[in-house]
Amino acid sequence: MSATAAASAPARLPPSGLAVAWRQVRGLRILLPFLALVAAWWAIYASADFSPQVLVSPLAVWRAFVHLVTYGVMAEYASTSLRMIGFAAVLSLAAGVPLGFAVGVNRYAAHALEGFLRFLQGISGIAWLPLAIIWFGFTHTTTLVIVIYTLIVPIIFNTMIGVRAIPEAYTLALRSLGASRLRLVRDVYLPGALPSIVVGLRLGMGYGWRALIAAEMLVRQGGLGDLIFGARTFGQIDRIITGMIVIGCLYVVVDRLIVQPIENLTIARWGVLRQ
Amino acid sequence: MADREASSQDKIVVAGFRHFFETADGPVQATDRVDLTIGAGEFVTLVGPSGCGKTTLLKAIAGFIRPSEGSILCDGAPVRGPGRERGVVFQELAILPWRTVRRNIGHGLEIARVPRAERERAVARLIELTGLTGFEDRYPHELSGGMRQRVAVARTWAADPEVILMDEPFAAVDAMTRLTLQEELVRLCATTRKTVFFITHSVDEAVFLGDRVLVMTKRPGRIKAVIDVPGRLAGRDWESFKVDAGMQAIAEQVLRLVREERGAAAPSAAAAGAEAPA
Repeated sequence: MSATAAASAPARLPPSGLAVAWRQVRGLRILLPFLALVAAWWAIYASADFSPQVLVSPLAVWRAFVHLVTYGVMAEYASTSLRMIGFAAVLSLAAGVPLGFAVGVNRYAAHALEGFLRFLQGISGIAWLPLAIIWFGFTHTTTLVIVIYTLIVPIIFNTMIGVRAIPEAYTLALRSLGASRLRLVRDVYLPGALPSIVVGLRLGMGYGWRALIAAEMLVRQGGLGDLIFGARTFGQIDRIITGMIVIGCLYVVVDRLIVQPIENLTIARWGVLRQ
Repeated sequence: MADREASSQDKIVVAGFRHFFETADGPVQATDRVDLTIGAGEFVTLVGPSGCGKTTLLKAIAGFIRPSEGSILCDGAPVRGPGRERGVVFQELAILPWRTVRRNIGHGLEIARVPRAERERAVARLIELTGLTGFEDRYPHELSGGMRQRVAVARTWAADPEVILMDEPFAAVDAMTRLTLQEELVRLCATTRKTVFFITHSVDEAVFLGDRVLVMTKRPGRIKAVIDVPGRLAGRDWESFKVDAGMQAIAEQVLRLVREERGAAAPSAAAAGAEAPA
């Protein structure tokens, strides 16, 4: 029996130099669609005589990017957006996780709120913008409220689901070992729900980033949304496209470098719960 | 071992325990006036048809549910909730998948704030007793089903409760492993004697492990019969059990009693299997 248990753990060999090189080549695959898009764009641009008010070349966009970076404009707008999403994520976790727990441990509350949370998910953050602008004006508060609203709903929802998926035997066993409520939260609910909480955070960051850009376009108090919407007023196509590319890149960077590693970490350790 | 005259030695006393469950089709009566006494240091097994209220009784003794009627005393005091003097080993996987074997086994002592050095000594001893040496730093998903249940048993023993309640702990492992686990449990009890209440639907298991075997009726469950098993628990093993005429006679007697209930519960064999476990 001990032999079968030992065999179930996968053996990992250290990768050879060749394997590493091959993996790096294969890693370039993810760049192919981007290269194809730029090529198609350039082809379209070269095929006709476009006014710079309609379409510019990738080279012009690159120049605009360098310009914006050189004068610190890009850093200014991008950092406004990044600070906003970061602040909103921290606040949403701080409020959403306890709320999700409160709902998740109570079966009646969970049943009562499930439909309501889905209803809220249907009303996008952007749909709250008219009201938020009336209440809070064209301010950072409005943007923050919209982003938190967008981020917090998936966090609450997934925390609730995570808590409810924990087998009852875990909590019963710990209670018979003398565990207090606080112990149960620390030793069972939190680690048990963590993979689901991270999924909620990841979804929320995706929705929240989009809502943030939309809110910035209307609120016009800085941020990448403001940058591209402001550029429209002066017909600066190069700036608009630059801003769009940066918006996409920053999301990928945040997701891949911050959110996904957290997710992988929790799933590597805790994912067994889902067996 | 089956000496039951001194009432001061009574660890668990259940009197007139009736329990009802609310279901969509109205209340269902799980048990009917269960009376039983478990003496200190005694190993009592309870066998009965599935759905007869065995688990309900165990959950009430554990303090997870409040009896609709009747009383449950532990050391003369009414049971008001779960407590660390009454450890539970469940049928399903109840060890935490995000803790290693070592940290699972030490969990009860950690909750009791036992100093680290002492905790590690107790854990090391149980790892050795349950044959988990070499697997201390594995996670449960890296273990076989039998080893996971060893961890669950070791965790409960390590917390050093006075009473251990076991709810079909070996039902989910394969037949060969089950025999090993049962013999290991006998050895564990020989080194650290505990009051054990063990639920099973296996007649052989009930007779093999019990100082006393209780047979429960079909739902609503009552105690139908009490059979004393002679001889000490320590030293029992399956090979001698199978050829011991006395033990086999007891097993046959218990089997008859259980089958009467099955027959009474369901004249057609199919219906017996359809009953949901409590």
